[in-house]
Amino acid sequence: MSSDATDANDVTAATDSTPDVAGDELLRVRNLDAGYGDLQILTDVDMDVHDGEYVTIVGPNGAGKSTLMKSVFGLTAHMGGTVTFEGEDITGLRPEEIIHEGIGYVPQNDNVFATLTVQENLEMGAYILDDVPQDALDMVFDRFPILRERRDQKAGTMSGGQQQMLAMGRALMLDPSLLLLDEPSAGLAPDLVEEMFDKIDEINDAGTAILMVEQNAKEALRRCDRGYVLANGENRYVDSGDKLLNDEQVRRDFLGG
Amino acid sequence: MGIAETYSRGRRFAVDRPGAILLVLVAVLLFGDLLVGLATGRTAFSEVGSLLWDGLMRGLVIGLAGIGLSMTYSILNFANFAHGDYITAGAFSGWATTYLFAGLGRADIGSLLLVGAGGSVFGGALGIGITGTPFAVIAGLVVAGVFAIALSLAVDRVIFRPIRDQDGITLLITSIGVAFALRYMMQFVFGSDVRGTTAQPPSLSLYFVDGAIRINMHDLTLVVVAGGLMLGVHLLLQRTKLGKAMRAMADNEDLARVTGIPTERVVRSVWIIGGGLTGVAGYMFVLWKGTLGFNDGWLLLLLIFAAVILGGIGSIYGAIAGGLVIGLTASLSVLWIPSAFARAAAFVVMILILLVKPSGLFSGRATA
Repeated sequence: MSSDATDANDVTAATDSTPDVAGDELLRVRNLDAGYGDLQILTDVDMDVHDGEYVTIVGPNGAGKSTLMKSVFGLTAHMGGTVTFEGEDITGLRPEEIIHEGIGYVPQNDNVFATLTVQENLEMGAYILDDVPQDALDMVFDRFPILRERRDQKAGTMSGGQQQMLAMGRALMLDPSLLLLDEPSAGLAPDLVEEMFDKIDEINDAGTAILMVEQNAKEALRRCDRGYVLANGENRYVDSGDKLLNDEQVRRDFLGG
Repeated sequence: MGIAETYSRGRRFAVDRPGAILLVLVAVLLFGDLLVGLATGRTAFSEVGSLLWDGLMRGLVIGLAGIGLSMTYSILNFANFAHGDYITAGAFSGWATTYLFAGLGRADIGSLLLVGAGGSVFGGALGIGITGTPFAVIAGLVVAGVFAIALSLAVDRVIFRPIRDQDGITLLITSIGVAFALRYMMQFVFGSDVRGTTAQPPSLSLYFVDGAIRINMHDLTLVVVAGGLMLGVHLLLQRTKLGKAMRAMADNEDLARVTGIPTERVVRSVWIIGGGLTGVAGYMFVLWKGTLGFNDGWLLLLLIFAAVILGGIGSIYGAIAGGLVIGLTASLSVLWIPSAFARAAAFVVMILILLVKPSGLFSGRATA
């Protein structure tokens, strides 16, 4: 691990290089230090997501990918640096406050209410609104037709792929401008993985910016606009997905050749 | 082939689940004994009917009181041993109100507010009952609910909330402390004597085969109040936004938080709804049995725990079903054993059911 780190450090300075940028700046993370309890995991991490952009975070196990995403959503202990969303400082806000800002989050595990029906799960996604937004519900049902079919089924009785779609649908109920996805393909059968990535493309095409953590690094980099490579809780590389895929060093150290 | 298969399946079942077989055997034996008793006239049909009715009433009290306990367990993740004393506190506050309304001008206010502590006033002498003093009873019912809500919110605020992140054992032991503090505070204020609270309520006799089953007005009041509240809780959980959020939180608290459900507000609602039901249950318990003592809730709590565990801890419907099973068992057991062992019989049934179905009747359904 440490030899990796020294190798990588002199290759690319990750900070502030934002190539091929699409829209205006949406999310801006600067010098972020964060962790759990007293344990610091992220050190001096920078990251940007622009309007409508599709960004993935890849890196080895324990690199702090999920921690970075959770830090954006206020789920970790903040130890330094800033998180700005649409120009507003959201550093240290709690998840229930951040959700009001227009960020949706899909956790990796246990991401549906198993004992609630599909419809009730989606309703919970719009809890902060006074009424269930019918148009958002229709939009989610159109995006994931299987959910319309199974709207009265208990979420816990559905397959892993369907649960993952429900989890995304729930996060889309508030029509967020940024959707955080933590390992959306984890635990899915290979043919479903492809379908899941297609759905994410569709969501992104409809204008929602995506920030995604993925184990399946090659596929994620192929699909995204930009990728961040994280190792040991620090930025290593940032570039367009294609360039990272073709980078000799990244391939060797992080993509398994 | 068919017979052999059935035989081998039966054999396998007997080997796998000897407990279940034994249980069925004992049940068949007891039921056979009952049938013989009924046939030979040793046991009267009307007696069995009366016991069934009595068990149903006990079951409603236990079930109603169990809902609050089950709610706090499933959503706040701890077994609140102070629950029994919330019941007693609700009962005392409600009955003080009822005494005050029923006896104003006929006895001094102090004795009325202390629910006739030391034999200074008698509920029977004031003619208290749903028919005699309906307004006083309804006022008492409302005050019991409101007071229990205030009490559970206050205790949560001062004692439970600061340690909510601690493990379940810490919370449990703390709640036992709260239970003792409340109980002996009530004993200090209201005295330790068990007082009669109601006048004999009018009753109707239903003719049943060989005798009569007596159903009094307080039984009917209990059926209406408990049934109505249980239905209300069901509709709340299934139909309303708050109820769905409660189920969501019982299901997965972390996810509820990242979904934007204001968990602290839901917790407060749980205390309000659970507390209100608990206070009302305490009042109805006393109205139904006609006596009130500082130990009532604590003694009932054991049966409530039995019911809640039997039903599948954390399930509201399990609490109701478990309450009915425990109530009916405690009442019907006197057909075979001395009534002093009625409570023991209820626990034996709980243990037996848990042996066969370890996670309870309604397990895995969370609050829903």
